[in-house]
Amino acid sequence: MFSRRRFWSGLAFLFLLGGCGNSPYPTGLTRESVYFMSQQDDPRKLDPASSYRANEGQILDVICPSYYEYQPLKTKKIQLQLMLGEREAERESYPYTVAGKGKVQGERWTFHIRHDLRFQDDPCFPGGKGRAITAKDFLYAFRRMADPANASPVVTFFSDKVVGFSDLVERNAKLQKADKGADYVTPIKGLQLDATDPYTFRIVLNQPFPQLRYLMAMHFTSPMPFEAVTFYGKEINQHPVGCGPYVLQEWTPKRRIALAVNPNRPTEFYPSEGDPGDKEKGLLRDAGKRLPLADKVVITNIPESTTGWNLFLQGYMDAWGVTQTNFQQVMTQQGALSPEMKEHDIRLVKSNDLWVTYFAFNMSDPVVGGYTPQKRKLRQAISLALNSQEFIELFSMGNGLAAQSIIPPGIYGYDPKYHNPYRTFDPKLAKAKQLLKEAGYPNGIDAKTGDRLTIYYDNAKIEAAGRQYIGLISRQIEALGIHLESRAQRDVVWQNKIEGNDWQLVDYGWIADYPDAENFLFLLYGPNKRPGPNLSGYNNPAYNRLFERMRAMNDGPERLALMHQMRQMVQEDCPLIYLQEVQRMSLYYNWLGANKPHPIANTLLKYRAVNGEQRAQLQTKWNRPVVWPILMFGVVLVLGSLPAVQVVKHRHNRRVTDRNPSQQEVSA
Amino acid sequence: MLRYLLRRVLYAVPVLLGVSLATFILFYGIFPPEQIARRNLSAKNPTSQQIQEWLVAHDYNHPLPQQFKKHMTELMLLRFGRSDSTGEEIWTRIKTGAGPSTIIAGLVFTASLATRLFFALWSAYFRATYVDTWITLVSVFLMSVVYIVLVIAGQYLMGKVLRLFPLAGYQSGWTAFRFAVLPVIIGVISGLGGGTRLFRTFMLEEMNQDYVRTARAKGVPESRILFVHVLKNAAIPIITSTVLAIPALMLGSLVLESFFGIPGLGSYTVDAINAQDFAVVRAMVFLGTLLYIAGAILTDVCYALADPRIRLE
Repeated sequence: MFSRRRFWSGLAFLFLLGGCGNSPYPTGLTRESVYFMSQQDDPRKLDPASSYRANEGQILDVICPSYYEYQPLKTKKIQLQLMLGEREAERESYPYTVAGKGKVQGERWTFHIRHDLRFQDDPCFPGGKGRAITAKDFLYAFRRMADPANASPVVTFFSDKVVGFSDLVERNAKLQKADKGADYVTPIKGLQLDATDPYTFRIVLNQPFPQLRYLMAMHFTSPMPFEAVTFYGKEINQHPVGCGPYVLQEWTPKRRIALAVNPNRPTEFYPSEGDPGDKEKGLLRDAGKRLPLADKVVITNIPESTTGWNLFLQGYMDAWGVTQTNFQQVMTQQGALSPEMKEHDIRLVKSNDLWVTYFAFNMSDPVVGGYTPQKRKLRQAISLALNSQEFIELFSMGNGLAAQSIIPPGIYGYDPKYHNPYRTFDPKLAKAKQLLKEAGYPNGIDAKTGDRLTIYYDNAKIEAAGRQYIGLISRQIEALGIHLESRAQRDVVWQNKIEGNDWQLVDYGWIADYPDAENFLFLLYGPNKRPGPNLSGYNNPAYNRLFERMRAMNDGPERLALMHQMRQMVQEDCPLIYLQEVQRMSLYYNWLGANKPHPIANTLLKYRAVNGEQRAQLQTKWNRPVVWPILMFGVVLVLGSLPAVQVVKHRHNRRVTDRNPSQQEVSA
Repeated sequence: MLRYLLRRVLYAVPVLLGVSLATFILFYGIFPPEQIARRNLSAKNPTSQQIQEWLVAHDYNHPLPQQFKKHMTELMLLRFGRSDSTGEEIWTRIKTGAGPSTIIAGLVFTASLATRLFFALWSAYFRATYVDTWITLVSVFLMSVVYIVLVIAGQYLMGKVLRLFPLAGYQSGWTAFRFAVLPVIIGVISGLGGGTRLFRTFMLEEMNQDYVRTARAKGVPESRILFVHVLKNAAIPIITSTVLAIPALMLGSLVLESFFGIPGLGSYTVDAINAQDFAVVRAMVFLGTLLYIAGAILTDVCYALADPRIRLE
């Protein structure tokens, strides 16, 4: 009886604590206008000067907006729109003279910010009330990027272009070594305030750089109050103070981040224009509504993707991505949404990312590098042997495009009709084998030495999926008769090999910082070799010259013609084997208003509309606790033990009766 | 006893020094500071100047002996500094993470002990009956199942199929228990098989002792023999095995915290290792060593309390 009572009371206690429900949120919260999402990794920091990761940008960009932002619905041709800016920035030619260098053809940009901007309320301000924002706060953000204490990842974007910025960076580095604070006082020519208008500032560049507009849409250039930096000191990266639609209400590391509507936010509305077809998809239903649409955003830290996926299926996350883990559950064999998803009122949205993956040859390697016709042919042959489609089918669930050039869809210059002759797969490999022969390796055998050609593939693929990946690339390249030696190593060792230029073939990828062709074509610009972004070390003077001209131009036929010439050069030199233009599949519940993924905008949280009532009803319907198996288990356990009690009692009695004869024996 | 304790505390100093030295050598041997900088800088392709600046900002720019001296002094003074990766005060995170970790690890520890004892006693009481056989079978089954499988299966069954508990998440205050129940049940079940078998063996060993025969001869009921006399005498081996399991408990929490999204110290350590955050790793290793030593001393004290024959001198 004792054990049975204990068991039932223990069970009752557990259920009392558990509340017999599986909702991870406080009661009633899901009924409200709250957008629920999760993040696998906690943000490292939320500081506009130094945060760079996607999960940080997603939060930070709605707290700390910038002069421009991306129009959320225009994804076919990505467009900027004004956010904190009052009107379009004025760009003008600005020739100036530098001692020892002569005349420099620079340019000057004039920015006019809105007059109604206020920082959010925060204890760093007198009385806790956010103050008005002026041009000074924008320039202060620039100076923070030059402060080595903030380790800004984009300092190089500005240091080689903004006049005087590189000197400031160097000066600050020296001050840091001398254990002194950075220079925030000395004026520099590149960053100018207007003498009469506190809402105007100018940036002077030493070269034409039309891409500056995109940089002015990144949170790095968001206005920053010096009061916050003074008040929070080193903890500033945990306390973003901005003027966006949301404020950071709670950040409990590894647990939860909550964003609440900023009462001081600038007035902005849901756009009334989108891509063709958006209206029919209901994407303009909220046109003209004041932003943000949801009153709150709750981001829960869920490190395990399986757990997060199950939470989504229970209705406790509003959106989720399709990955290899859940693909079988999401899609049918025919590529349609599975009945389980349809039953849950889930919709699937596919979108392109500004993300291209590729294999790179080390252009300074004696075997695969170099610019002679033989070396070119060797690379072209290997390029022809790699079948992107098979990679996409096996590792991206068939979701992605076989890349033909470095420029992905959505970027000006992307040509869907272009077919790279060395990226057109032929299963017979006739052309590849011919090129290999002409390169001096008939059937993969070195004609001079008679040895089989071995190519080393350095990678950090030490997990199971990685080994499958290596298996596929080996099979494809070895079909040419070449031996591919995979050198799988830890990430750190792999990085070291790349930095030490000790490699032949690696795979890599590039996600755009901003949607301009320059941000992709610079991956092959000679002066950008390591530690810059030019991984292969490709250095073709003709390409470099064209790049220098192209980057200073606005999009247009002239720029496009240059880009085509560059594409032709790279096609023949073949320093990269383009693999895949990455596509994304997202799942949304229908209680969430229409959503459109954007390849680069980080401000999408403010466009999320939620029908909390509908969500709460479905959550209740889907998550009724099932208690009977537990009760049944308990009953079986207790009832099953009852006969044993009799057995023990019987044994005890038997022992007493059994003991008597032995006692008699002893006494005898 | 006091003198003994003092001696044990002094013995702990070389252990702590040794562990700190090993951490330093291992970390610097595997990840040179430049590598840590590269990993922690957000830039896609950090320049050498950016790396240099990071090293200066995080005090990694000194010669190795000086670095080592600083490393040891700071650890011994419990001055853990700031995280290399987030810049956050490490002590702040330890304070916030200690609560959830203590709740999970503490509950797993006590509930494990209670359930193991319960089933071991039950098994011993019903020895040589089908109940004993079934408990043995289930125990062996639980011992054979890999821990991670138990975690996933438990989460799936209790959270997803039966919908009794949240799959993941955490809230502070009393509601924390809502989120602790499922990981604690899984934590308890994972060690139940081995623990029950071990404790049952201790019990049965005691049941063959002379004093049990004496008690039986005097007519003491079997249940009283088991729950009063045997249980008390089996306490010594139980204490040894239980306290020695404390480090394993911490390790168990790493997985549990990660799967259930509990913001404790276990997941903090795992994240730091993944992020090559040397400042946090060395602090957590040092704290782990301290806890281990404290556990070992606690075992000795418990011996003395449980068994009057043992004196700590």
